[in-house]
Amino acid sequence: MSATDVAATTTEPPPRDPVVRISSLTKRYGGVVAVEDLTFSLDPGTVTGFLGPNGAGKTTTLRLLLGLAEPTAGEALVFGRRYRELEDPARRVGAVLESNDFHPGRSGRDHLRALALAADISRGRVEEVLELVELARPAGRRVGTYSLGMRQRLGLAGALLGDPGLLILDEPANGLDPAGVHWLRAFLRRLADKGGTVLISSHVLAEVAQMVDQVVIIDRGRLLVIVRLDELTGRGETLEDTYLELTAREAS
Amino acid sequence: MTAQLRAELLKQRSTRTNLGLLSAMLGLILLVVLLHGVALPAKEFGRRSDQLTELFGRGEMFGALFAALLGAMSITGEFRHGTIRPTFLATPRRGRVVAAKVWASMLIGSAFGLIAQAVAAGVGSAALAARGVEIRLDGGDYALLLAGAAAAAALWAAVGVGLGAAVRNQVPTVVGICVWLLLIEGLFVGDVGLGGIGRFTPGALGKAASGQDPLLAPGLAVVLLALYAAAAVAAGWATTTRRDVA
Repeated sequence: MSATDVAATTTEPPPRDPVVRISSLTKRYGGVVAVEDLTFSLDPGTVTGFLGPNGAGKTTTLRLLLGLAEPTAGEALVFGRRYRELEDPARRVGAVLESNDFHPGRSGRDHLRALALAADISRGRVEEVLELVELARPAGRRVGTYSLGMRQRLGLAGALLGDPGLLILDEPANGLDPAGVHWLRAFLRRLADKGGTVLISSHVLAEVAQMVDQVVIIDRGRLLVIVRLDELTGRGETLEDTYLELTAREAS
Repeated sequence: MTAQLRAELLKQRSTRTNLGLLSAMLGLILLVVLLHGVALPAKEFGRRSDQLTELFGRGEMFGALFAALLGAMSITGEFRHGTIRPTFLATPRRGRVVAAKVWASMLIGSAFGLIAQAVAAGVGSAALAARGVEIRLDGGDYALLLAGAAAAAALWAAVGVGLGAAVRNQVPTVVGICVWLLLIEGLFVGDVGLGGIGRFTPGALGKAASGQDPLLAPGLAVVLLALYAAAAVAAGWATTTRRDVA
């Protein structure tokens, strides 16, 4: 190996495979297009906000990414593979798609224990995540008695069971009190600092602006922009201005 | 697969659904067996076959019905409450989830069948004994009733999981199973007989499995009922692995 080769390899950033890679992703339901030719990827260690108006295709994209729905065309990969082909999905990816995916008559602890059994995760880890989201005390109660904020935290606890490197959250702050939002923000930051990757869809721009490094904005199933927040502020723009301008232009 | 099975068994025992089903089943058996045993004229119970079908066999029928409901609810309940999403995220190879639900439901379903038949036999015998009607069943009949009821209920639980997985919506699945077993088979096929065909409907096969059909061997009835169960599970498996989850 020559000296110039060494120089080249040390100045270039190490090549890192994207954690999420969505390419030409398309999903149609009958004649209705939910996602159209969507392409973007997420690098490790980033927290990304996934934004767009109602019906933009955010949730559909997440469902395609998580193997709950099959794309009409294109592909959505996590760690280079289709979600359904991951060897140990719960230890790679944690996701919360709805805030109330619980049986109301089952206790929070039993909900997590059933998930842990299916994913070969120890009972001790269930108690750990319950402590982490501060639900250890009410864990024996039926979920039907939980507040929305508690359900959000229980969902998050389920996503965290396998200590995954990629966290995908659909509207995670919905129903959390200010202390909960603050906690979530700090938690996601710590995860990203350890090299974890986070994708959060949300409507609340102000909240997202404080949590994420970059945003992916889509509308009508198409990508409008993927941009780093510091790039926006560097140009003297706010997230809200950019979002409203882009989605308004699209609508006209 | 063992991991999924353990998860399914925990799901089934961590809500009150199965307890509710068990209570409803026992209540109905008590009601129906007592009504028949006490109210029907004694001459209706003169023959062994009458005692089997009119009184003791009711246990098998209710065991099969409630095992089917238990199986159906184990999967339609997940769609109803949205837990299917975390379930499939933890186990994206959905065939494993269906298989685990089939085995868990068959296990608990067979217990339902056994309990149902034991209670029906006990209450039926007591009712006849109290009226001084001679019981014409022997030990072999009782053993066959219990074994057949357990087998039929286990297979009906598998039918329930398969139907539930194919239909997904809880109310139509539960109503469909009740209408088929209680109305269509109970009222029409059972009495009319439909020539020889009525004997091969899935509910009738459950009866034959417990020795209630003199013309169809219990072993053969179990095999035929297992074919129905396999077909239902195959339909549910195909739907579950292919269809999107909302």
